[in-house]
Amino acid sequence: MAVAAELRVATEFADLVVHARTSKMFGSGQHVAPVLQRVLDELRIPMVWDAPRICADFVILHNPSFLKFQNSLSAEIYAQEIVVVTHENFLRPGGEEGFDVSNCLDQIDLSTLALRKTLAPISAYNRETVTGWLSKFRKGRHWNVLEDDWFNIFFSDKDEPCEKPEDRRGRHSRPGFEKFPSVADLDLCFPKHAKANVILGANALMDTDIVRSHWTLFPFDAISLEDFFEMIDFFVYFTAPTWRESFGRVIAEAIAAGKVVLTDPETAKTFGNAVIPCSPGDVDRIISDLISSPNRYRKKVAEAQPLLERYSGQKFKERLGAILTADREALT
Amino acid sequence: MIFVEAGTLSVRSFDAQLIFALKLRKRGFDVCIDATYFPEDAGRGRHYEAATLLADTEELVAEAVFILGAEEVDDRLLASLRQKQLGTDVPVIATGRFSTQQSYISAKSRLAFALGREATVIDLSDLQPRSISPSAISPLVTETRPITRPIGELANVTVVLGSLELDDSETLSCLSRMSNQGSYGFKLVVSGAQNEFLKASKFNDLPRVLYTDLSPLTLANSTDILAMFGHGIAGDRMAELALEVIAAGGVVIDCTEDEVLISSGAPALLGPKTLFALDGYLIGKIIGNTPHIADQTRKSPWLRTVDISRLETAAGLRAKPRPPKRTSPRTLFLPTNGVGLGHAQRCTVIAKALPKHMSPVFAAFPSCVPMVRREGIDCIPLVARSDVNDSSNANDILTYRRLNAALQEGDRFVFDGGYVFDSVNRVIRERRLSAVWIRRGLWPKGRSRHTVLRREGIFDRVIVPSEAFEELNDAYSYGEQVHNIGPIFRQVEQSPEDSENLRTRLAEKFDHDFKLLIVSMLGGGVASDRSAQLQAISGMLECRADCLHLVVTWPGSAVQAAAFGWKNTKVVHTLEATKLCLAADLVISAAGYNSVHEILYHKIPAILIPQSAPYLDDQERRARALSDRNLCSTITEAEFMKLERTVQVCLDDGGAEDFRTTLQQIELPESGVSAAAEIIATSWKNG
Repeated sequence: MAVAAELRVATEFADLVVHARTSKMFGSGQHVAPVLQRVLDELRIPMVWDAPRICADFVILHNPSFLKFQNSLSAEIYAQEIVVVTHENFLRPGGEEGFDVSNCLDQIDLSTLALRKTLAPISAYNRETVTGWLSKFRKGRHWNVLEDDWFNIFFSDKDEPCEKPEDRRGRHSRPGFEKFPSVADLDLCFPKHAKANVILGANALMDTDIVRSHWTLFPFDAISLEDFFEMIDFFVYFTAPTWRESFGRVIAEAIAAGKVVLTDPETAKTFGNAVIPCSPGDVDRIISDLISSPNRYRKKVAEAQPLLERYSGQKFKERLGAILTADREALT
Repeated sequence: MIFVEAGTLSVRSFDAQLIFALKLRKRGFDVCIDATYFPEDAGRGRHYEAATLLADTEELVAEAVFILGAEEVDDRLLASLRQKQLGTDVPVIATGRFSTQQSYISAKSRLAFALGREATVIDLSDLQPRSISPSAISPLVTETRPITRPIGELANVTVVLGSLELDDSETLSCLSRMSNQGSYGFKLVVSGAQNEFLKASKFNDLPRVLYTDLSPLTLANSTDILAMFGHGIAGDRMAELALEVIAAGGVVIDCTEDEVLISSGAPALLGPKTLFALDGYLIGKIIGNTPHIADQTRKSPWLRTVDISRLETAAGLRAKPRPPKRTSPRTLFLPTNGVGLGHAQRCTVIAKALPKHMSPVFAAFPSCVPMVRREGIDCIPLVARSDVNDSSNANDILTYRRLNAALQEGDRFVFDGGYVFDSVNRVIRERRLSAVWIRRGLWPKGRSRHTVLRREGIFDRVIVPSEAFEELNDAYSYGEQVHNIGPIFRQVEQSPEDSENLRTRLAEKFDHDFKLLIVSMLGGGVASDRSAQLQAISGMLECRADCLHLVVTWPGSAVQAAAFGWKNTKVVHTLEATKLCLAADLVISAAGYNSVHEILYHKIPAILIPQSAPYLDDQERRARALSDRNLCSTITEAEFMKLERTVQVCLDDGGAEDFRTTLQQIELPESGVSAAAEIIATSWKNG
């Protein structure tokens, strides 16, 4: 979705060609996300599968981790600059590698002849993991790091917050283990006394019988996001402490839907004052305070939603323009 | 408690868990495997191996968690780790052979997501750059503990056939020649298919075990020289076997087509690639040189790569060798539960003849427990076989567990029975017990000698209680370990006054004055239904007002309701049948070993009605041996008219007295009780 939105912006700056790659990560199939395909069709942008040679002034390579299960990119890239957008965190909390970064970057490195090779983090936290990795692994030090975040474009209608919030909590994510905190923390976040505890994307919990009678569990995609947000007033989102969102699209969606978001301080960094950083042990108290003061609840949402503007298409356009023009002068 | 987990559910993974858990236990750790890992198609051997390891881990506190086969970690494991909510001080160690750095990172990440903290993930490819089995799920580590070779008097050679084809009759002949070699002991380790092939061939008597019959550790304990054939290594278990033999200072000969052991750097010898050359190679190059070869093996740096202590260190665990539970050895008798209590009774007779300091204990089935305890001997109750269980050997698995708990290395174990249970076989091998088999003869026609004797080799001594008459003493096996001794039976001292007093008490108890006392002991109908004979006897004695007929059975035996409908016939459940027989004028009995020898040695006039069943000894032959000497009368199951006539002759025409006279004159061999006790008392492995 974010890449599709990017294309709309980028097409204003240059002629675009989208190169798609088959990858061991996705198997041998060649599938294009419908949302991306729509934009390609609409903007008449050509898409080429597995080109042996890619030549352009700028090559933007999204998410190098797609190379993690293979040894070669199987293409030659010629460009003034290659920008590798690091959607996946290079390091996990604690400093362990998130994926085999060296292998992925080496494949790109070996395949690319460019005047500049740049890594583009997508958020403040993501940037920390990229720079942290570079300082830990010397072989990646020739990569530049873009100063400004190559953020995910986010646009959505903004819903008004409810008049009188209730203790209706929920979370939404893909179902992987990394997306969920410990069972003890889940119990703190979604307690028996809450009026509603709605977990969308609870496949793993349901499959492994980690259920509570006071939880309403839905598999991923079982209900629409609109329906989900109708059921809650507070979006309580904690992940495994050994994993962290590089951006946190689900949080942006919750803010746009007019909900107060509670999350851990590191994940909260991306969204500044738009969310409430806390620990699972604090959740009850914070929710209780806001329920007793509906005005503060509405004020919190009202302050948060404008902050999403920093992820708008317009902002991205300004950023991309600055990158392209500044670099073009420097490189020519 | 250390939990041994696996990345995925499979028989291979489970094997790795079993093997590694047993190694940790040997190192002194408490270990378990969650019962949910037990595969449906586990097979017989794994049931036993798993019996002492499976647990409901929800009820236990984890001291550490080992995860094997972390190359692939499924959601089930992740969910179970998450549910365990392990404390941060509980080390979680995962092992795997990771083909790429990404696979290592993936495993580490997935475990971290489930645990909420990092696990220690060990890439075994780093520890063992040239593993003997690069695809093994098991960590292939062990304790280096060279032992004196050979283990027994002769070197034990174990041959793993691997993928070798057996369809060539010359190959089987060659194996047969080797198995009969006097220079070394010999056994094969075969796959299920190879075993079936051998069973159907003329070489069914080749000594062999299946891959899963025994743990690699137990197999290694009885192997001085291991020769491996075929292409590659025949699975993780055989890789473990090779490892254990090397670590225990044995000789491993690589006869594989691809020289898989040698190419891994393991301290193995390159042997012939054909079985036909193995015998010459063993005799010419190996037997006699094993100490020198073991010396060279000990110096190999490869041993360091398989040292289990490296994994323990990574887990922050320190091995704690367990002292034995007891400092003095124990002698445990296990009588099988036959049709009656004969095995148990024989064992109690021997046990009571042992030197006082030995204080034997019993493990016995429920029907035998009261009898054993009545003799003042401690007894561990076992569980009898039942049709209720899904598995035919479910009770034997329990027996294995209880024997395992009761016995330790250095103990003496006395088994009395015809069929050597898996539990008995395993516990003797695993605990390295000094073992004695009390095995009666007089097998019925058609009983397979190979089937009965195939496990004889695990016993240090075989005691064969003889029959009273020489023509009944067929020999089934030979060797220094086989001891043929006199008949073993229970001797009861009872004076004529004692007998008279007993008759008086019986008359009072049953309110029935009598002159003639007849005792029938025809069994509970388990082996042969003798209810018709009992009815016939009861009927013919009913018209004799001066007669008391006692139907005597072991306590707990079933008696048909019809036996209770007679005036002169009374049912008695007792463990003191011999005393009643001594007080009787005539005994009508089956021809089991104990009954016949008690009748014979106590000079009791009797009519014998032999029972017959495939699992019984040849009762008719035994009975005939007596009746041919006019010591009793033998009546077969269909001879009702003869039965009536014979009872009449015995009671009215002096037949019983004639038998008594002949019995007084017959010369019988000396009882074997003392000899049996002496053999058991001196049956130490090193004694």
